[in-house]
Amino acid sequence: MKYFAGIDIGSTAIKIALIDEEKKILASRVTPTGSHFRKNAITALETTLSEINISMDDLSYMISTGYGRKLMKESDESVSEITANAIGAIEAGRQHGDIKTIINIGGQDTKAIQIDDMGTVTNFAMNDKCAAGTGKFLDVTAMNLEIELEELGDYHFNIKGAPLPINSTCVVFAESEIIGLLADGHNKEEIVAGIHYSIAKRTVRLAKRVGLEGNVYFDGGPAMNKGLVAAMEDELGKELVIPEHPQITTALGAAVLALEAYYDEMEEE
Amino acid sequence: MANHKDEIKHPFNLTHQASEATRMLRSITDDFPDNPEAMNYFYDLYKKVYCEGVSLHENKKIVGTMCVQVPEELIYASGAVPVRLCNGFYTDDHNGADFMPAKSCSLVKATLGMLDSKSTLPFINRLDDIVLPATCDQKRKAGSMIADMGYSVYDMEVPPVKESEEARIYWRRSIRKFAGELKQITGKKLSKSSLKEAMAKISRAQKAYRKLYELRKQKNSVILGKDVFMVTNAYFFDEIESWTEAVNRLNVELEKRVEEKYSAAQRRAPRLLFTGSPAIFPNLKIPMLIEESGGVIVGDETCSSNRMLYDMVSSDEWHLNAMVDGIADNYLKPCTCPIFTKNDDRKRKLLHMAKEFAAEGVVYQSFSGCQVYSMEQASITKALNDEDIPVLFIESDYSPDDMGQLSTRIEAFIESLKAKRRRNRK
Repeated sequence: MKYFAGIDIGSTAIKIALIDEEKKILASRVTPTGSHFRKNAITALETTLSEINISMDDLSYMISTGYGRKLMKESDESVSEITANAIGAIEAGRQHGDIKTIINIGGQDTKAIQIDDMGTVTNFAMNDKCAAGTGKFLDVTAMNLEIELEELGDYHFNIKGAPLPINSTCVVFAESEIIGLLADGHNKEEIVAGIHYSIAKRTVRLAKRVGLEGNVYFDGGPAMNKGLVAAMEDELGKELVIPEHPQITTALGAAVLALEAYYDEMEEE
Repeated sequence: MANHKDEIKHPFNLTHQASEATRMLRSITDDFPDNPEAMNYFYDLYKKVYCEGVSLHENKKIVGTMCVQVPEELIYASGAVPVRLCNGFYTDDHNGADFMPAKSCSLVKATLGMLDSKSTLPFINRLDDIVLPATCDQKRKAGSMIADMGYSVYDMEVPPVKESEEARIYWRRSIRKFAGELKQITGKKLSKSSLKEAMAKISRAQKAYRKLYELRKQKNSVILGKDVFMVTNAYFFDEIESWTEAVNRLNVELEKRVEEKYSAAQRRAPRLLFTGSPAIFPNLKIPMLIEESGGVIVGDETCSSNRMLYDMVSSDEWHLNAMVDGIADNYLKPCTCPIFTKNDDRKRKLLHMAKEFAAEGVVYQSFSGCQVYSMEQASITKALNDEDIPVLFIESDYSPDDMGQLSTRIEAFIESLKAKRRRNRK
């Protein structure tokens, strides 16, 4: 049996996917990036490998992606997270078919990617320097409201009034806006829903820049937040395809590329 | 008011600017293997000027220019030397932020910062005049601030339209007036022979550039784009004759590379055109990222390079006024700066270049705060996309803080071009 690994070293989390030659996911892992991310990445990889009782030497090919991709010298090569995300979405969304647009919200950036039926990236857009509307935005919101990140979805659906309009697009200013709203006596549910709609609006605007064709696939950590998903679907006017493990799509894409690179090399030899 | 001819106070090589230049120069030379031998002339020139503070143009009058539209033939013919002041230093961008609104163009801010700090160019305190063509709003309004710093500034009027006969008449009058201003500065009246000589001097430089331009059409890329930007950027301040000789020497070496089938980039590196806001040393971050990510820049459409050197004056009338008019025409009609109301020429030029250079994609840089380049982006992208040429639009400035994000975008663009090629083969 051959093993292929994709490792996605993001700004917030390290994601790992291990697959076999049938592209079946054998093991996966999500762990915080931390400050010693190379060390953390290697530890996470070793732990994942040990789950299926193999070691680094058993890997036929490994590709790294994400912000830390270049520093992972253990990898055979690196690829940008946009390409990896596209390939991963085609693989994970296969049963839904016809995925033409991918929206990814990560820890510090938001991407919209347009692909053709072979998974080739034809166009993409990314948020500029600022982290507005990214996973960080949700972190800050949960922290200010003193609730757990996982609870955001529940708060969203328990709303009694209407979502509050959140006007700030900057994470730092949104923080003071949230505090102001709390001080005015608004409840947390309305604020949470307001934040979700604010992120959804920004994200959909970005996605419109690349075009919204076919099925729209939504991944990244925030795709696990059902409240945000509902707000996005509302803004888009259509249903989103949410994969089973939204955080590891890009790592899976890197693993699939590793498999392809391995067989390409075999063919050449 | 401070006099701009005050002495520079700090040891030159210890300024922030000198260390910024040193860092960039090191990565331009050391991060890439096998730079052409003949490039050493240019690397050394930057080192002398920006890192060590060696002055150029001793005993000459120096006229600073603020845009590509200033006819340099007239300056040479008046016995002075033109030096283009458009600046690429991040340190100066910081200094210049004192003068400009927060969201304004890095290039204008950096130029103001350089003129204010006087510690970037060693001969900045010897400028006899600064010519400021009234091109974009930000440059136009910078003039009075520069004058307040103690410099002598000449505002040169530029029409906002370039096709009409009215614009042509207006521009010709503006250029004749500028010729008169030059006489005031240098004390030397234009003559037919001095103008002819100046035209020949510039045309020799342009011929050398055109040769370099042609060499980049080779299927095997014989030179990287980052080096060509270093070459053309040196034209801003170098002594023109030594610049021309150095380019000719480089061309000879590159011709040898053609014969030896030597490639400066990977054999299958996607070929790219660069357009938009100019790449000016040391802000070569986007060209560098492109070529570090496995692409190669084979041509450009920018005012720091191709737009500055490609179009040549053609004059078949040898009366002084007709010569001045002929020169004027060359600085208006072919100019593809987005400040002009209509700019279909820019689309045509890019489409033409994409064919000529077999370019597979275009990278379009717009400095944050440069409205005209950002506004033209959509229509240029559409024109290129219609011909199946993908465009990567990047809004950025001189700050290094978006390098991580930019490298992801640039790499993804290059990967998508490679994937497109594979798909087309199948």
